[in-house]
Amino acid sequence: MSAESDMEYSDNDGDDYDYYGEQDDCDMETVDRSKSDPEFFLYSCLKVEEVEKLLNESIELLSNSLQITPSLAKVMLHAYGWNAQEIINKYRENANEVLVYSRVKPRLPVGQANSSRTNCAVCANTPLLHKYSALACGHYFCNDCWAMHFEVQIMQGVSNTIQCMAQDCEVRAPEDFVLSHVTKPTLRERYQQFMFKDHVKSHPQLRFCPGPNCQWIFQAWTREGARRVECRGCELLTCFSCGAPHHAPTDCATIRRWLTKCADDSETANYISAHTKDCPKCQICIEKNGGCNHMQCGACRHDFCWVCSGDWKTHGSEYYECSRYKEDPNLANDSQHAQAREALKKYLHYYERWENHARSLKLEEQTLASLKSRINQKVMAGEGTWIDWQYLWDAARLLKRCRYTLQYTYPYAYYMEVGPRKELFEYQQAQLEAEIENLSWKVERAETTDRGDLENQMDIAEKRRTTLLKDFLEFNTNNASSSTKV
Amino acid sequence: MAALPRRIIKETQRLMQEPVPGISAVPSETNARYFHVIVTGPEDSPFEGGLFKLELFLPEDYPMSAPKVRFITKIYHPNIDRLGRICLDILKDKWSPALQIRTVLLSIQALLSAPNPDDPLANDVAELWKVNEIEAIRNAKEWTRRYAMDN
Repeated sequence: MSAESDMEYSDNDGDDYDYYGEQDDCDMETVDRSKSDPEFFLYSCLKVEEVEKLLNESIELLSNSLQITPSLAKVMLHAYGWNAQEIINKYRENANEVLVYSRVKPRLPVGQANSSRTNCAVCANTPLLHKYSALACGHYFCNDCWAMHFEVQIMQGVSNTIQCMAQDCEVRAPEDFVLSHVTKPTLRERYQQFMFKDHVKSHPQLRFCPGPNCQWIFQAWTREGARRVECRGCELLTCFSCGAPHHAPTDCATIRRWLTKCADDSETANYISAHTKDCPKCQICIEKNGGCNHMQCGACRHDFCWVCSGDWKTHGSEYYECSRYKEDPNLANDSQHAQAREALKKYLHYYERWENHARSLKLEEQTLASLKSRINQKVMAGEGTWIDWQYLWDAARLLKRCRYTLQYTYPYAYYMEVGPRKELFEYQQAQLEAEIENLSWKVERAETTDRGDLENQMDIAEKRRTTLLKDFLEFNTNNASSSTKV
Repeated sequence: MAALPRRIIKETQRLMQEPVPGISAVPSETNARYFHVIVTGPEDSPFEGGLFKLELFLPEDYPMSAPKVRFITKIYHPNIDRLGRICLDILKDKWSPALQIRTVLLSIQALLSAPNPDDPLANDVAELWKVNEIEAIRNAKEWTRRYAMDN
């Protein structure tokens, strides 16, 4: 039994190692990986041109099967989350409803009152008849006003959702209508760029890589749970579901809470609450910066006791008395302080570890870089080939991957309720942490470490990591719990 | 300064010739895009009897962008904050170039008649308006008497 699982395990290693790499694996491996890697997620990383092609296919499909202009097809696809088949089916049932829902047509037919073609309501001018135009809603305005309207909207970054100028009219201007009024080349280009971005954002299968100035776009078919995607351009690890940095085993909602907590100043408030008190006389906020409990307010010079907030005069030699009388009116206050202090301590415990692993991860990256150049040197000097030294490279990459997961176990643990499950989690976390430190030690001294020893350590660390993920990754546990319920 | 668009000239003329009841809007002598506005508190509202000063500015791309309007007179209202800024959909996302100064000011007058505490700008005011409307209305009347009736 154990031999079998070992076998199975070492089988996995080969392809586990390059799952951060290019998507050039064949289907066979894909099947294997989906079983062995609890984080396995099918996706592709596309260039802008590839995505344009993909979007155009949907647009073409829709415009051909419904005999409408591509520009109208875009408006409808944007409204229906790019589900062309759904639109086609619904359109055959009730074309009007689809057009109204996509805001191509107005909900109610427009009366004649609003559609003057002799006087433009926006500029109050009366251009010649042929200079007016309107969308399907029949609200006519002069072409100069349309052009200005589109210019202002495009400058504000609006593209797919530019509306008719009439009050309360929600009909959207399709691309061809907008472009027939906008002549400035820079503006037209801007409009089309915004259109593309908007299309990607409204497409449930697409997500921009959030890396700075990164042009790659992910394509995948699920938006649920922590889903790892790696950019081919900038190598950033992202969660496809929520767009945050990849965060398994923590789920999307929790990582959002955690990152907000770390970013905002709620902890500053906690710090103030835990380390300061208001002067009982003038209410100015005082931070305790030394051990002595005899406080003198810097503002009003009032002497008081830090412990009980009472006047220091009544203390004198009886200082220790005040700790005994906890049932004072100050008790409620004090317990609040104590609670804040406790909450702060808990947060700092998790935050320090989170930060520390983030820092180690950066250092690990340097190790990876220096290792690469060392291997190259060896290969150049004729000490074996790259294949001979590949295991070192693999070890460093595996270390990086383990460290990454470890970092993201801390927000998970922070929000976990106390109980047996948290105990199990923290046990596995501790195991993983210990093995990672062992591995890190051995990788840093890789050339003097026995290869077998190092590879054994790699196995152990990766096994700990996958076990933890299998047991706690949201969609795995969901599956597990639903199967136990059945 | 660029020539004043015909639209603004026409709107100004009409505001002067057929003023909206209860609202006066006069362009500044030095800037035709800046209007001094006075709105009388609507009848049967806690603002009745008050004269509320506002300022209205037409930005460069008006009417493609909404005018900027602000209360200068202090007012106790859930959709108007301490700085006089107004929470009104047509001044923001629901702006349409077919709307006018006239329609904007009418909407503001309507907002005084029908405060909307569910879409608040002044949170403390909105809160009180929801939990204790009687007291909120008393405050609004008191503020109207104190700040909007002195001249």
